[in-house]
Amino acid sequence: MTMPRSIATPAPAPAGPDAFFGAAPAAQALLDLLPVGIYTCDRDGRIESFNRRAAALWGREPKLRDPAELFCGSHQIYRLDGVAVPRAEIPMAEVLRTGIAAADVEAIVERPDGARFVALVNITPLRDADGNVIGAVNCFQDITEQKQAQDMLRQAERHWRELLEAMPVAIYTTDAEGRITFYNQAAVAMSGRRPELGTDQWCVTWKLYWPDGRSLPHDQCPMAIALTQGRPINGGVEAVAERPDGTRIPFIPYPTPLRDAAGKVTGAINMLVDISDRKRAEARQKSLLDELNHRVKNTLATVQSLAAQTMRGDRDRDEQREAFEERLLALSRVHNQLAREQWESADLGRIVHDIVAPFGQERVSVDGASTKLASVAALPLAMVLHELATNAAKFGALSAPEGRLALGWKIERVNGARRLRIDWRESGGPEVQPPVYRGFGSRLLERSVGQELRGSAQLDFDPAGLRCRLEIPLHAADA
Amino acid sequence: MTAAAVTAAEPGRRLAGLTVLIVEDESIISFLVEDMLKDIGCTTVLHASGVAEALALLAAQPPDAAVLDVNLAGEMVFPVAERLQASGIPFIFTTGYGLKGMPPNWALLPVVQKPFKRETLTAALASAVGR
Repeated sequence: MTMPRSIATPAPAPAGPDAFFGAAPAAQALLDLLPVGIYTCDRDGRIESFNRRAAALWGREPKLRDPAELFCGSHQIYRLDGVAVPRAEIPMAEVLRTGIAAADVEAIVERPDGARFVALVNITPLRDADGNVIGAVNCFQDITEQKQAQDMLRQAERHWRELLEAMPVAIYTTDAEGRITFYNQAAVAMSGRRPELGTDQWCVTWKLYWPDGRSLPHDQCPMAIALTQGRPINGGVEAVAERPDGTRIPFIPYPTPLRDAAGKVTGAINMLVDISDRKRAEARQKSLLDELNHRVKNTLATVQSLAAQTMRGDRDRDEQREAFEERLLALSRVHNQLAREQWESADLGRIVHDIVAPFGQERVSVDGASTKLASVAALPLAMVLHELATNAAKFGALSAPEGRLALGWKIERVNGARRLRIDWRESGGPEVQPPVYRGFGSRLLERSVGQELRGSAQLDFDPAGLRCRLEIPLHAADA
Repeated sequence: MTAAAVTAAEPGRRLAGLTVLIVEDESIISFLVEDMLKDIGCTTVLHASGVAEALALLAAQPPDAAVLDVNLAGEMVFPVAERLQASGIPFIFTTGYGLKGMPPNWALLPVVQKPFKRETLTAALASAVGR
């Protein structure tokens, strides 16, 4: 813009700050009303005119055309970093020397009372018809409050970024179009990748699936819905994220649109809560319930079989009832022993104690170290020992007052494999006769030890007392 | 003869004289199945407690039909089922788990849930044999 010649040419001696290049009174009034400071210098830097706002900002009224006060009416100028600027180097001096306009230069201006403000300075050189610099106009304003507001905004932004960064849960933000504008470290850890800011859209994850395994396109994910429909989704939706390495993480998203003061959606924030632990716990619980159901149903079938077996014989009803109750209680006692050790194992010593305790210590001697049996071995072995004890009490050594039972066991090593050997020796009872028919006890002994436990059972009907030797291989589950 | 007795006797007639393999790890439960099958006239009942034992038995003495417990002390019975299927020997499953626990490729075969009535077991086995 070229200045009209009448303004560019200094008028004779204006009397005070109101006189501005000898402008007409209306123009001068207008300049004085402007909320920005304006002043002019001649080519040597002497102040030629200034408006009211300039004097108010400087905190003083400089003398016009004073060679002792060049370039500026202020007391002292500083750079933004606080370093004082020599008067010959302030923006007005630079413009007059170089002829190059200064646009939006920020500087600190100090008043005579020591107060400082941040000024935004614009300077245009004035030229004559030949293009020679003959002066310059400086327009400056106090932007201290603006600067403070910007600083506060920057601080607030840094504050919430640090806050979100520190959160242990994946968080990211997008603009109104869903493009990622921010993500925290937890989001990187969860998605297994570093999202492309401004490019990736809707979600930080690599791939998305519904819990049933169907693919979930990013533009249909809860965040996309929250943004396009302008409503938050407060959980209730589960999804599965796939990392580039193929691992999958179930999660619940909590997308919330962000709005400006006018209520317009400007973006959204999303929090992805990893629910892997919960899912694992649910799966564990389901498998435990399945296992419990399996055990209950098998136990019911076992009881059904015990009842059927007991009723097959030709004994009278009372004897059958008693035999059934004893078998049921034997089953119950081994369950108690298994329950003591979370159904993983049971101690052979305790199982034996439960079975022989009713006969008294003076008639039964027990000799064996503490031996843990896996649940699959403990149950059949306990039932076998129960049948041997019942037989001894009815027909064998424990049916006579002077009869004795010696029960011992030990762990042997055979070709590197561990084997449990149990010796059952009766003595002092009535003379032993080989049985005339195979009952439940011998059938159980044969199948439980021989097949189910993959061991061997040796029954010796010695007339002096029944002897039984059981050999059972021990597996890693037994100890 | 009541109607119920007729229907219970019908499947039994179809199974009479057959050799049946029972694969069941729990001895006491195996007696139950064994006795039920003998009661309805199966002449020979073979028994195995685990997969390896069952496969060896199948090779040595192929049965006419089989009753398979799904879970053999943690070991799944399906290799035995595959061998039976390949040999064209009819079979049914017994299980303490719900039907939901069955793998999809076996879900269409008869499954008897424990505990069970003799009539239920024999009807299932007879329908497998009669196919």
